[in-house]
Amino acid sequence: MKRVTPALLGLSLALTACSEPEAEPITPLDARSSLIRVKVDLLGVHPDEVELQAIEEEPELYPLFVDRYLDDPGFLTRIREVYDARLLMRNGMDGADEPLRLLSHIVENDLPFTEFVTADYTIANEAVAGMYDIQLAGDAGWQAGWYADGRPHAGVLTMTSVWQRYPSAGQNANRHRANAVSKLLLCDDYLDRPIAFSRNAVDQVTIDPEQAIRESEDCNSCHSSLDPLAAHFFGFFGYEDDDFSDPFLYRPENEELWRDYADSPPAYYGQPTSSLVDLGREIAEDPRFVDCAVKTLWEGFTQRTYGEPDWAEVQEHRSAFVDSGLIVRDLVRSIVNSEEYLAGGAEERELAERLATVKVVSPSQLAGIVEQLTGYRWSFGGRDGLTDPSTGLVTLAGGIDADSVTQATRAPSVSLLLVHERLATAAAAHVVANDLAVDREGDARLLTAVTREDVPDGPGANLFEDQIRYLYLTVTGIPLPEDSEDPARLVELWKQIYSVDASPVAAWTGVVTAVLRDPAVITY
Amino acid sequence: MGKHDTSRRTFLKGSLAATAMGATGTGLLLKPGRAMAAAPRDRKFLFFFAGGGWDTSTVYEPKFGDDAGGVDMDQDTFLGQSGDLRWTAGDDRPSVSRYFERWGWRSSIINGIDTHSIGHGAGTRFMLTGSSASSLSDWPTLLASQTEVGFSMPHVVFGGPSFAGTRGSALVRGGGGRVIDLIDGSIAGQADVPTPQMARPADFMVDAYVHGRIDRFALSKQGLGRRRGEELLASLERAMELEGREFEAGLRTQTRDFYDQAVRATELMRLGLSRCAMLRIPGGYDTHGNNAPQAPQQEAFFDTIDRLMDHMALTPGHTSPTLLDEVVIVAMSELGRTPRLNGGGGKDHWPFGSMLVAGPGVRGGRVIGATDPGLVGMTIDHSTGLPSGSGDLLGCESVGAALLKLGGVDHDAFLQGVQVLDALIA
Repeated sequence: MKRVTPALLGLSLALTACSEPEAEPITPLDARSSLIRVKVDLLGVHPDEVELQAIEEEPELYPLFVDRYLDDPGFLTRIREVYDARLLMRNGMDGADEPLRLLSHIVENDLPFTEFVTADYTIANEAVAGMYDIQLAGDAGWQAGWYADGRPHAGVLTMTSVWQRYPSAGQNANRHRANAVSKLLLCDDYLDRPIAFSRNAVDQVTIDPEQAIRESEDCNSCHSSLDPLAAHFFGFFGYEDDDFSDPFLYRPENEELWRDYADSPPAYYGQPTSSLVDLGREIAEDPRFVDCAVKTLWEGFTQRTYGEPDWAEVQEHRSAFVDSGLIVRDLVRSIVNSEEYLAGGAEERELAERLATVKVVSPSQLAGIVEQLTGYRWSFGGRDGLTDPSTGLVTLAGGIDADSVTQATRAPSVSLLLVHERLATAAAAHVVANDLAVDREGDARLLTAVTREDVPDGPGANLFEDQIRYLYLTVTGIPLPEDSEDPARLVELWKQIYSVDASPVAAWTGVVTAVLRDPAVITY
Repeated sequence: MGKHDTSRRTFLKGSLAATAMGATGTGLLLKPGRAMAAAPRDRKFLFFFAGGGWDTSTVYEPKFGDDAGGVDMDQDTFLGQSGDLRWTAGDDRPSVSRYFERWGWRSSIINGIDTHSIGHGAGTRFMLTGSSASSLSDWPTLLASQTEVGFSMPHVVFGGPSFAGTRGSALVRGGGGRVIDLIDGSIAGQADVPTPQMARPADFMVDAYVHGRIDRFALSKQGLGRRRGEELLASLERAMELEGREFEAGLRTQTRDFYDQAVRATELMRLGLSRCAMLRIPGGYDTHGNNAPQAPQQEAFFDTIDRLMDHMALTPGHTSPTLLDEVVIVAMSELGRTPRLNGGGGKDHWPFGSMLVAGPGVRGGRVIGATDPGLVGMTIDHSTGLPSGSGDLLGCESVGAALLKLGGVDHDAFLQGVQVLDALIA
């Protein structure tokens, strides 16, 4: 893996062309497309024309733009979204953002990622604090706080929201929670392991499951490490209490209940531990914890699924992460500065398939891009259309609801196309009505060159081509080629729609819709 | 190719088939053995998923007589039998017996399926993809995506699980009914900031322009980019066709009723809009604390599919005389449940499950696979489905391979080296 900028890559190509060596295996994106890709990934919106002209003139500015985007508050929103693909917290539950806010606090303050499992505080806002009885440090907004029930604090390991999302049925004795720790923090899901019971083991399970778990080798292959992990969570285990009135409470008096269930004392893969704080320290020392964070963010920002051929590439990012002291921004910087990330194509077929040479926007990215361009954002009954799964649109647009749909769809499905079409139509109607309003306040957003009186066959004919070229440039970030037939085609479209009821608003709405539905809006 | 080409082609195909074959009458349709079943490529698949892990002994695994003793059967149940089919019957589950007596000849019960897991999430993934790998698509998505017919909504998920894998462009998740609002454009008026809906002619004109842009976009790419471009184009064509045919499919009439949803799914198949659909069977089957809900939930399910079979027998198919000749029903759960009741009167997770498969191409009227009296899967001969000491355990991937084969999909391309459960296929 090389760390390159578009400019350096161009220079590299020029030098190699002189000595006629083999062709570069990866074709880089041009400067504009590079900046669009990285800003959509890091901030969820397109760069503006000023930024695009700057990168076009000086491609070596790319890393500086990356630094600027990584420092933008919008990056914290994106990091929460990307990491929820691992945590699957946002299933509509109140308080679901508690661990994601801890993550963005870590990122914002450049704290080591180990803080995720060792922080001696939580992060909450007034609503979450009220719900879980958390004492906040300040007055307003998301901030550090402490649970009032006397629990120890160890980052996500001691958050009520996490154990509400990953509960444990009584008989299950916290094993679901133990597996959640392994799955979410180590990327190792016990339930992904194929089960091959011997006949003897099956008989034992039938007679006495707990005894089988203790004595059968088949069962022990998982339970010898799973059950000691589970033993840490009995403070969150309310099944022995008569009073269930406060399911959010941590009960220190229940910490030793593991003796009554699996009877496996708390330990982390053979290392005895005495508390959740100890557990957090052990996880922080585990190389798999770092591997899992790297894999999660690499997959999230590249839209690729990690496989064996990617090992060397990902290891480079892992090294950058470790060298930085586990600073998340440095890991992401390493990913988005890499040659593979900036690939626009590849000579070799296998590589061309493996690299994400074209990526598809997530629902929230689509919402952000369209809002930035038109000022329009879908919401329904106060719920954000493309980030709140309860609207139904998130999964239709390829996202997850962290419940029945836990894996995003990266291919452009028919339902994503329908979402894109209807959102583009609504946003176009909104922005055109504003831009062509006689009593408009402020500047027009998109229709800056025409008024509702202009028609393509009149004196304003030239304005139409200018306007359409401007529209494309603003919406996609890519100028139409000089010889493009699209301006003429869109003028024709304008005339066709205008011929129906002589409405310039309807005609321009059609044209703006067509441009907003360009493939360059949902791919990057 | 423009949207109208696609739309007209599919519509004409469906209409002609219905017209030509509808006249054959329905009186013949319930008789077994008539060679009217759709060819594998023309078959549609309606999946039903019981979330939580159903108790296989409630219906599919009757353990009476010589088999008795190892399983806690529901009280007052007895052996139901029709030909080679055996099920758990009882006065509290008349629809189960009615279904098998009427439709058993086209149904196979598959028992002793190794689910490879006792976790809900992993079991669901194994049962639907045959693997724990996240890159693999589930059976309905594979069946829907591996076809030359341009289905507008290849696989519709009304409810229940879906694993898109790398073929997500074939998948349409229901989105709580929002998909209909998107198709007919009515979502514009439902937003907090409502906007006028674009008039139909203008909508079509814009569609045509966008189609050209995406076409040129696809041609300008290579590798994955080209594939994404082609998927964009195909999805746009599907969207355009749906917008043109929304009225015809009656999609506007939404319902949460399970039977109506099933009928709606078969309507999409009849019109050639979908090849597969997934529905979640109502109720909860994760009965750790009390196993009693299993029976009434199965009773309700069998009542639904019995009525659905009647409906399909009287309804022309997309390419066959009736939907009954065209639609394969697959009912499954992610797990089985332990043979014995636990201390709380419930049953816990068990790694051997059962499925029901019924429809064209299925070798019906039989039980495939087996468990011993303690509900442990037995090794079987995959070509006969009968227990065999020299055979292998029946893995869920073998059942999946058979479903793909039933649908004319090259199972080897996705499940290399997996033994196909040929016993399922007529």
